[in-house]
Amino acid sequence: VLNRRCVEAAVMTGLALNCSINKKSLFDRKHYFYADLPAGYQITQQRVPIAVNGSLSYSLCIDNKMSQMVTKTVRIKQIQLEQDSGKSLHDDTRSQTLVDLNRAGVGLMEVVMEPDMCCGEEAAAAVRELQLILQTLGSSQAVMAEGQLRVDANVSVHHPGEHYGVRTEVKNINSVRFLAKAVDYEIQRQIEELENGGTILNETRAFDSKLGCTVPMRDKEGKQDYRFMPEPNLPPLILYDAKSLPANMNHQQVVNIDWIHERLPDLPSVKRAKLVERYGILPEHSFTLLNEDGLTEFFENVVKQTQMKPKKVIGWILNDLLSYLKQHSLTVKESPVSSFLLADLLNLLEKKEISSTAAKQVLAELWKGEGKTPLEIVKEKKLELIQDQKELEQICQAVIDGQENE
Amino acid sequence: QVSAALKEGRVTPTELCQRCLSLIKSTKFLNAYITVAGETALKQAEESEKRYRRGQPLGVLDGIPIAVKDNFNTAGIETTCASNMLKGYISPYNATVVQKLLDQGAVLLGKTNLDEFAMGSGSTDGVFGPVRNPWSYSRQYKEKSVPKSHSEDEESDWVITGGSSGGSAAAVSSFTCFAALGSDTGGSTRNPAAHCGVVGLKPTYGLISRHGLIPLVNSMDVPGILTRCVDDAAVVLGSLAGHDPKDSTTIQDNFKTFELPNLTDVSKFSIGIPKEYHAPGLSSEILSLWSKAADLFKNAGAKVIEVSLPHTRYSIVCYHVLCTAEVASNMARFDGLEYGHRSDMNKSTESMYAATRREGFNDVVRGRILSGNYFLLKQNYENYFIKAQKVRRLIANDFVKVFGSGVDILLTPTTLSDAVPYVEFIKEDNRTRSAQDDILTQAANMAGLPAINVPTGLSERGLPVGLQFIGQSFQEKQLLTVAKWFEKQVKFPMIQLEVKRHDHGAFQHQKSASFS
Repeated sequence: VLNRRCVEAAVMTGLALNCSINKKSLFDRKHYFYADLPAGYQITQQRVPIAVNGSLSYSLCIDNKMSQMVTKTVRIKQIQLEQDSGKSLHDDTRSQTLVDLNRAGVGLMEVVMEPDMCCGEEAAAAVRELQLILQTLGSSQAVMAEGQLRVDANVSVHHPGEHYGVRTEVKNINSVRFLAKAVDYEIQRQIEELENGGTILNETRAFDSKLGCTVPMRDKEGKQDYRFMPEPNLPPLILYDAKSLPANMNHQQVVNIDWIHERLPDLPSVKRAKLVERYGILPEHSFTLLNEDGLTEFFENVVKQTQMKPKKVIGWILNDLLSYLKQHSLTVKESPVSSFLLADLLNLLEKKEISSTAAKQVLAELWKGEGKTPLEIVKEKKLELIQDQKELEQICQAVIDGQENE
Repeated sequence: QVSAALKEGRVTPTELCQRCLSLIKSTKFLNAYITVAGETALKQAEESEKRYRRGQPLGVLDGIPIAVKDNFNTAGIETTCASNMLKGYISPYNATVVQKLLDQGAVLLGKTNLDEFAMGSGSTDGVFGPVRNPWSYSRQYKEKSVPKSHSEDEESDWVITGGSSGGSAAAVSSFTCFAALGSDTGGSTRNPAAHCGVVGLKPTYGLISRHGLIPLVNSMDVPGILTRCVDDAAVVLGSLAGHDPKDSTTIQDNFKTFELPNLTDVSKFSIGIPKEYHAPGLSSEILSLWSKAADLFKNAGAKVIEVSLPHTRYSIVCYHVLCTAEVASNMARFDGLEYGHRSDMNKSTESMYAATRREGFNDVVRGRILSGNYFLLKQNYENYFIKAQKVRRLIANDFVKVFGSGVDILLTPTTLSDAVPYVEFIKEDNRTRSAQDDILTQAANMAGLPAINVPTGLSERGLPVGLQFIGQSFQEKQLLTVAKWFEKQVKFPMIQLEVKRHDHGAFQHQKSASFS
């Protein structure tokens, strides 16, 4: 029986990726024998998938400088719904394989991209953007380390102007960082292989994160005939839009593409543009804000509670707060300094009651999370800016006098 | 009738249950049951009795003993499909149709025998042995059979039940239950119904849920209903039909239960006689019975016309391609890992799979898997599978055209001859037999149409012969109405079972033939 939520997730993702949604899509059985495939076949959409021909835009920094970003696009070939298999855990010491069937049958959405990317960095940036989109839509948490997002990279090399070369598929990539590494390694490996007069085999390779290289796995499609057959227990999936929806159709029974479209949340690119426009921050800043879970919210909360201009607040957020969190491997949610406290501190700074150096000192104290307010710390450490001219003169004079005495 | 008796307290559910259970014991030689669930049945009967005493029976089926073919999942009761692969397998859940019957208060006596995985037309190829047709032990058959010398007694003379739901048909025919569930993919409910002299209904595909029915051919399987009269079949149908969210191939429309009208005037009906069903090998007896039936309708004022379903002769071949392809796919899940038989071979996963499947499946199943996989190979897919699908469409269209031209119901024979003796039957292999025997029943599966076997008369050998009515999609009410009328006209005789151990002469008169 088809899971409605999966269909909705696929339609949302398809719309977010500018795909054409196929109003009629079909299901097929892909047969092969493996211990983690209890039915002996996987239900997938080989003939007509649910969405086709979309695109994904992502941004890259040129030369590692955050100040210059360029936008690239990768075409999305299709999105298809299919079943997950179980998980095989190989126990080599006892020569046995343990099979965990808990996830067998769970719905998966496979997003197939065209080979429009040319290096690890691009692949990583594209996948990162896809992660954000999926998280925003709620289709998936898309955490690679937990297997919620699995990425297989297909890599080939060719001289400019020639046909695409033979591709290899690289699996077992567990993070966006490793994706970049794996892709770059594989590109190098293929170039070296070809330059030494060798050939590239159409094979599946596994990425070894410890060694940072790819190693051959099993033989892929060449030898396997999957004996595709239409899935007889799932009738064709029919989706409707406002125009094609029959008048007396029960709303519980159908998926309306237009209805979903209207309810799509702001995609990351839109969110970033809005941040830039509303707060006058730089585009690169908006990227960092969105990349860190909860950071945008934090930032906006601080801005609400302070008179300091957002353009200045952002510096404190990205330079001070974020670097501290990174140093201590904390998430924004785990921050000992709340947006309220930070706003408080920035207000003191803005009212010129303390200097910015003093502010940094206060912040350092706040990290300890002892529950003191910025004002309390300022008083404690006597960090107040002295505004009184006379008092300042007295202090300076005292210093000069002191010097003279040495 | 029994239902009324239960209501009036003339007999109690537990009495009924006990009688059936003891009859099952006496007729054990029929080998109709694989598993008898005596304890649970009695418990169910007791519950039913409580309800009757309170005056709150759940319905007509409350307390009625039923049997279920062993390819339906029954919670807590072994489900084997008559295969080594599932010997000892206890289902964790009830098939939707089983659950529905239980919800109505029916008493599940046990699981009936079949051809392994429902593949066959004789109920002879299961691992628990063949099912014997109760009519082999009837006075009618014995009177007509050539007297043999004492050494060659009935043991070698018995006839098959037909298949693959032979156990269910035999159970109903021998009075051990009042209704039974079978399955029908190519005729597996109607064929044994004809040979055992009972009513066998194949409903429209999509009307009754297949959830829990271990699949043979997903696009053709339907649960089948076996009863002793058409009214009973209608009652059971009423309790089973309707959308099941667990089966995406059931239709969404609400099913309206109906009461079968007592038709007296058939003049408004148009009965079609498809000439292609005059198949080679059709016995002259059946041919004459068929034309007598046609005359019966004509004389009663109905319009009887000859029609043509030109693609009928391709249906067997087409069926074999599509059936084996789906079988190959559906059997892929039996690998011994999660449930069922697992071979001791443990050198590697592959060898374990291979050994398990070789040990678990019989020749028939393995043969079909191999053929099916062959047809699904990339290089063969177009030529076989796709082609067969196209031919299937043509066959279905034949029916659409005929029904569209004003014909309401089709009348055809169900089988080519009466039941053959077991020793004869096994002379040919399963594939040959299936190809021969399915020929009259299987087009209805291809087109998803409802069809019913109505026992019509006895052959020269004293064995039952039935005729088949094929109706339009989802027009079960019309189909059953006409079938009921026909049943009344032919007055098929009751079986006079001669069972050795107990004297059931008196018992027969007390026991009613039907429950409604």
